Amino acid sequence: MNAIILSALLGVVMMFASVFTENKIAIRNIAIFGLLILLASNLLNIYTPYSFNVDLHNMLRFDSFGLFFNSIAIVSTLLYVILSGSDIVKVGNYPAEYFALIFFVLCGVTILSSYNSLLMLFLGVEIMSIPLYILTGSDKKNLKSNEASLKYFLMGAFSTGIMLMGIALLYGASGNFNLEMIREKTSIAEFGILAPLGLLLIFISLAFKVSAAPFHFWTPDVYDGAPSVFTSFMATIVKTAGFIAFVKLFSLRMADLGPSYAIILPVIIIATLLVGNITAVFQQSVKRMLAYSSIAQAGFMLFALYTSNDLSTEGILLYAAAYSIATIGIFGILIKMKDYTFDGYNGLAKKQPLVAATNTVFLLSLAGIPLTAGFFAKYYMLASALKSNGSALWLVIVAVLFAAVSVYYYFRVIQAMYFKDGDAETTEIDGTFKFVLVVLALLIILIGINPSILLRWYYF
Amino acid sequence: MPIQYYIILSLALFCIGIVGVLVRRNVIIVFMCIELMLNAVNLLLVAFSKMHHGIAYLTDKTTTTGSDAQLFVFFIMVVAAAEVSVGLAIIVMMYRNTHSVDVNFLNRLKN
Amino acid sequence: MNKLVYLVPLFPLIGFLINGLGRKSLSKSLISIIGCASVLASFVVSVILFFDVKANGATVVDYFNFINLDSLKIAFAFQIDALSSLFLLIITGVGFLIHLYSTAYMHDEEPQHFGRYFAYLNLFIFSMLLLVMGANYVIMFIGWEGVGLCSYLLIGFWFKNDNYNYAAKKAFVMNRIGDLGFLLAVFWLIEKLGTANYADVFAHASSLSSFDVTAITILLFVGAMGKSAQIPLYTWLPDAMAGPTPVSALIHAATMVTAGIYMIARSNVLYSMSEVTMNLVSIIGLATALFAATIALKQNDIKKVLAYSTVSQLGYMFLGLGVGAYTGAVFHVMTHAFFKALLFLGAGSVIQAMHHEQDIRKMGGLKKQLPITHITFLIGCIAISGIPPFSGFFSKDEILAAAFAKNPIYWGLGVAGAAMTAFYMFRLYATTFLGTFRGTEDQQHHLHESPSAMTIPLIVLALLSVIGGFVGVPEILGGHHSLHNFLSSVLTTEVAHESAKNTEYLLMGISVAVAAIAIIFAINKFSKKPELEDATGFGKLLENKWYVDELYDSIIVKPNTAKGKFLKNIFEKNIIDAAVNGVGRMINYSSRQLRLIQSGLVSGYILFMVLAIIVMVLIWVNDGYIYKFFYNLF
Repeated sequence: MNAIILSALLGVVMMFASVFTENKIAIRNIAIFGLLILLASNLLNIYTPYSFNVDLHNMLRFDSFGLFFNSIAIVSTLLYVILSGSDIVKVGNYPAEYFALIFFVLCGVTILSSYNSLLMLFLGVEIMSIPLYILTGSDKKNLKSNEASLKYFLMGAFSTGIMLMGIALLYGASGNFNLEMIREKTSIAEFGILAPLGLLLIFISLAFKVSAAPFHFWTPDVYDGAPSVFTSFMATIVKTAGFIAFVKLFSLRMADLGPSYAIILPVIIIATLLVGNITAVFQQSVKRMLAYSSIAQAGFMLFALYTSNDLSTEGILLYAAAYSIATIGIFGILIKMKDYTFDGYNGLAKKQPLVAATNTVFLLSLAGIPLTAGFFAKYYMLASALKSNGSALWLVIVAVLFAAVSVYYYFRVIQAMYFKDGDAETTEIDGTFKFVLVVLALLIILIGINPSILLRWYYF
Repeated sequence: MPIQYYIILSLALFCIGIVGVLVRRNVIIVFMCIELMLNAVNLLLVAFSKMHHGIAYLTDKTTTTGSDAQLFVFFIMVVAAAEVSVGLAIIVMMYRNTHSVDVNFLNRLKN
Repeated sequence: MNKLVYLVPLFPLIGFLINGLGRKSLSKSLISIIGCASVLASFVVSVILFFDVKANGATVVDYFNFINLDSLKIAFAFQIDALSSLFLLIITGVGFLIHLYSTAYMHDEEPQHFGRYFAYLNLFIFSMLLLVMGANYVIMFIGWEGVGLCSYLLIGFWFKNDNYNYAAKKAFVMNRIGDLGFLLAVFWLIEKLGTANYADVFAHASSLSSFDVTAITILLFVGAMGKSAQIPLYTWLPDAMAGPTPVSALIHAATMVTAGIYMIARSNVLYSMSEVTMNLVSIIGLATALFAATIALKQNDIKKVLAYSTVSQLGYMFLGLGVGAYTGAVFHVMTHAFFKALLFLGAGSVIQAMHHEQDIRKMGGLKKQLPITHITFLIGCIAISGIPPFSGFFSKDEILAAAFAKNPIYWGLGVAGAAMTAFYMFRLYATTFLGTFRGTEDQQHHLHESPSAMTIPLIVLALLSVIGGFVGVPEILGGHHSLHNFLSSVLTTEVAHESAKNTEYLLMGISVAVAAIAIIFAINKFSKKPELEDATGFGKLLENKWYVDELYDSIIVKPNTAKGKFLKNIFEKNIIDAAVNGVGRMINYSSRQLRLIQSGLVSGYILFMVLAIIVMVLIWVNDGYIYKFFYNLF
């Protein structure tokens, strides 16, 4: 509750900040300070549940899963702002508004991690998405940014329509928006078709949000067209929040969905892995490659839907953290590059050895090489699939094969940095940036050695 | 009237909206079609609200069942309004840069 | 005392880390101090542990679960008992002396390589300590592999010389063949008994079938063959002389090569259960002892002679194990460590004085210029020849006596080998130190005694070679054989060999007499008139080591290389590569095609989405929903 209210308030505070100061650094620092407060209030929420005494009508429910995810999201945002804050303020003339929008997105994220009613799901998704349309188009003179923004908006609104239709049908079948009530009612509902069809439509719209194939089409274009700083934010915090919403809704409902769910989901997982990994292979721009790679990573995260057991809940949280940290780092470095193609990275290791080394750690983590957080993230996902269902073996094998393909395009970056001669041009890189990169890399290695240091907070 | 009529009507509206999104190239019209989809949902929600209220009313004369769907409709309207403002801003921005409101005009991001 | 145990391997490990990481920044003197001090510290702790074991008996210290599976738990544990504490003393004691010696011997190396050398050496000591301290076969295997690695690294220490690299590679490959046997034996044990702990294995050994015991022991013995250079896996050891001489002394004479003996002595409970293996061990041991001795007769490289002598002496130890004289074998390990390290270090001293000349034909008359080296080398030669009261006599005699009790033919062949040993050692001694100098002017000018860092270890080892045998004086000579008593807690299954007192006196007399005759003959023959020409006839056969290397080359290496060439050129290129590249090309191709779906048109995207939704709804409908849908609707 604290995080929802405070993030909305902090968004407003950021809007007013631009009235009082023009100093971009000061604005960034206010944002960092605000995020720290947000983090503190969220942690406070874990120990003292009633900071705000509001009658929620059972529309929101705060459990350790949601609160823990909030912490991950807020910490990721914090690291993201510290790392790339100086680049956020460079995008346009009114940097305070970008931070305000980021806080509003966080508000949506925190709603999505705690919703207990379809109304809140809808509101959370919209509060999260609408600021993103603006952020995507924030580079107003850039046609690519315009195009990305338009595409994102049209398709996002379309998927909202789909979701609302799903919600309406589900309501028709159950007479309720409350998740628990729906769960109770639909199992005895006489409107046989409405409930499953409604759920299917909600499933589709959430699949759109997390860019699962074949609803992924917006992802490469939007990630590519948006200003890189905001791509970083979209690809990490927003994406994982979508998954959390997804898992919350569907983890307990599989049985109701009937046998076709057992066909559709594996097909979607494989399609997502296929599209993401295979298409990423041929890309020439690192930024676009990362967009496809984020689709590929989504394929792995979908395993959390395929199985719902302890391992997959822990796994999705671990995956959210590991993937966010690594991606923030990679994008942070990407933003500093003058040339976004693979050739632009040629010879980076000679010019910026530390940056190249940390970038290698992030890429290894995304590829799922052991001793990095990404390895355990993937491991938990696949292990949970095997644990819950013996016949998932073939699915796991396919996933591992695609993970092997992913090594190809991640290692192309490493190859360019270390083994090719070139003059990788970067904008100015300061000490703070390097320091945060090292912190991120250390976090990844630390979690990669012992994932329980992260997961034990889940059970506080 | 039986609830099925409402379902069919709103599903028909919804499909008209989808088809409109698919076939029209003017952004504004595409956008209006999306609005049509949302309003189809509104209609359906209100119809379901009345239906559930009617069922509950048979046993309990003071029931408020169904009011939540009507509230939901207001939320949809509010969110749609917010979306419209952002969407129109984006369209205006695009028009300023390209002097076109064709969905397929901007086509630099692909492959 | 248990608290101290972990310190023993810890010190060399720390030394390894400091020297390895700081090899570019630390000065040579600091590196020497760290290298030597770490081993000395281990030695001190080892002494404490040794006396503790003597007073309070064995202990097992359990640190943590190294492998933790449902059905299998393998602890990272150290076992300190009579056998391992004795080996600890040998390893750290002799190891320290050799480290000390190395500080002077390696002094001409660049600081960076000097640091690398000491890092390797410390790592070796650490691995060797793991090997003997482990309380189960798995920990032993870690050390076993570690010493193999260090041996490889140190043989190829001067990696700029391709021949040395080849020698290192050969050592590694041959060791790996043996390691495979060891590993299979450990797997077999775990499969049958579910444990690799010594205590558990030996306690439940009786539940193994005789076939299992024979197979396990033979496989373990294969491991020992590789590590301890027995026929047919011995050829790496002479080549391993490519490494620096102190390395030859430490690894390829005193410690690592005796790991096989340690392992079999440790597993004596198992070995005593299999008559077949015991016979195999003694026959292989005896054959190696004789075979290597014949080769040593005609070698002209000072280190090669010593190398073959090492192989031969190891053969004796295996003979001892095979006939059940475990204590004798361990005893010989100890005395051999003293005198063979002494001989190698002496050889190193000579080599350095001679400007890295190793051919004994170009030496001679070094007695005057290298007095300390000369005396100590002579002591080493006498000790290895088995002349009382030097240490070699007692240990060798114990093995031979046990061999006689088992089978007099073993004894006869063993004495013949001992005679050859005495002969070639004194051939070496006479050619090197007696007679006149045959080297160049320049070398003669340069001749000088080595610095004290080198001579002190020589003197200490010489002293030990003289008195080391007194811990195992047999009863018929009025001793108590205190070593036997000390080890009796570990080596309980020893076969008692009871011979009449007179017989035993006779046996001793014969072996001593034979050795003495061989010595006198060798000195007379070579001090005045050494063999300078290449040998002919049978001698040529010996000089070329019976052409065993060539034999291996033609029956094993060449066919394998040919097979490898075929696989590389035909199979890999046309099948494997084609498949791998084919997959790559396919992915690339599909990537190019697949990205075309991303047309960049919003309506195209939405069309795809709508189609997907329709397909999904249709799949849904297959569950019978379509029927229900219309039923409910109308």
